[in-house]
Amino acid sequence: VKDAEKELDRLVHDVNSRCSSLRDAAAMLRKIPSSERAEFLALMTEQARKLADDLAQFKPDPA
Amino acid sequence: MSRLEILVVEDDPLARKLMEKRLAEHSLDFAADSAAGRQKLEKGKHQVCFIDLNLGPKDDCSGLDLIPVAAAKGVYTVVMSGHDSEKVVEKAYELGCDDFYSKGNEEANVGAVLSRFLQRREKGGPDQLFAERFVTEDAATRQTITEALKYAASELPVLILGPSGTGKTSLARVIHERSGRSGDFVAINCSAYTEDLLEAELFGYRKGAFTGAGDSRKGKLLQADRGTLFLDEIGSMSLKMQTKLLKAIEERTFYPLGSDRPETSQFRIISATLEDLQGLIKAGKLRFDFFSRIHGLTIELKPLAARKGDIFPLISFFSRGGKRLSFSAQAKAQLLAHDWPGNIRELKRVVDLLAAGQEGRVLPETVGKLLRTVVAEAGASDVLTDGQYRYILEHGLAKAADRFVDAAVRRCLAENGGKKTKVLSALGISTRLLYASLKRAP
Repeated sequence: VKDAEKELDRLVHDVNSRCSSLRDAAAMLRKIPSSERAEFLALMTEQARKLADDLAQFKPDPA
Repeated sequence: MSRLEILVVEDDPLARKLMEKRLAEHSLDFAADSAAGRQKLEKGKHQVCFIDLNLGPKDDCSGLDLIPVAAAKGVYTVVMSGHDSEKVVEKAYELGCDDFYSKGNEEANVGAVLSRFLQRREKGGPDQLFAERFVTEDAATRQTITEALKYAASELPVLILGPSGTGKTSLARVIHERSGRSGDFVAINCSAYTEDLLEAELFGYRKGAFTGAGDSRKGKLLQADRGTLFLDEIGSMSLKMQTKLLKAIEERTFYPLGSDRPETSQFRIISATLEDLQGLIKAGKLRFDFFSRIHGLTIELKPLAARKGDIFPLISFFSRGGKRLSFSAQAKAQLLAHDWPGNIRELKRVVDLLAAGQEGRVLPETVGKLLRTVVAEAGASDVLTDGQYRYILEHGLAKAADRFVDAAVRRCLAENGGKKTKVLSALGISTRLLYASLKRAP
């Protein structure tokens, strides 16, 4: 049970961290020069992929 | 806002990019994992460090390990995390972090952090250590302690030298507090015990291990697991105890008295002494391998007489929360002229006596009387220490007297470059006594 809780804690942490980075990056897209947008978008895409992976890999507690 | 030196330890490339944009007006340095972060902190001169809690996939809060490293260097340490469980926040502050924020709304978070850092800087942050934990205004002492604290988070053993009452235990405690070690600070004065008692105190014992061992007892080595073991008056430890302790330090494993089951303890050693350890090695009273194990970093504390500028800051510190003391000019001059052989301990005793008295205004007559009282008290306790008394009880007065003579002869020989004629005249002893002593301890 402790391991399952730890896993859930980690998922919550990762989702929060990734979402807050994505939200901040989205807000920043308007403020940065257009030449930097491609780099930002690539990083955001990678972040979204990792977020999806984290959620897909999470094994809920069978109980 | 002035340009700040900032280190960001963050494994997420997008989060790093965002910090780069947000902190563009400052001088930035990045580390993507704990090892790189540690290296940059150790080598760099950062003022602020942002540390992500989890550094890498499946990581378990390894960012916490960097807090003591940053704090030891006086860097304003900020932990940023995707979750703010109370346990983690508490742990981060316990390890010495200055600020903690939950990720999200970074623009406001980072701005608020920098503003808090600047406010603290205006108030003079580093001075807090020297105003609260180790009171000194002496520039050289401050420099010595600041340098020493850079190694607080390392495993390096520390040896603190200095006369009695100069604050060796306080400094050891400060080093422990900044080490990030999760265990306790456990102190023991080696001179206050006979050899057998010291062994039982350090290693612990099982019920029935010796007459009087009614219950099993945990020793100091085990109490200091993941913490710091502070060995005061290390020079008074016997060769047999040094051998046993050396083995325990090297192997991190030892047997409590009467037990056949080994115990393991991860302790860091800080030791202190007022004796000349090189002289003890030469005299065969201190094992060189033991000395090598305990003297990783050596710190020497000056006597109070060599930093008299600390007298009044210390008086203010000791009388805080109590009666306000006001000294006449002559009383001040008397305090400054005194040699303070008992150092800070003696000064504290004077302040305690002043605080217990009726008058808040302190006149020269009061100071003179108190200084005489305190010096007399110290003299009485110097004649026979607890350790000496216990040694007499264990080995008999004749052997204790020989030991006392031998110590005086050794010290005098060392101070006089080994010239026996000078020792004879300085100690006022006979040639027969000198040679008898040299025969016992060549």
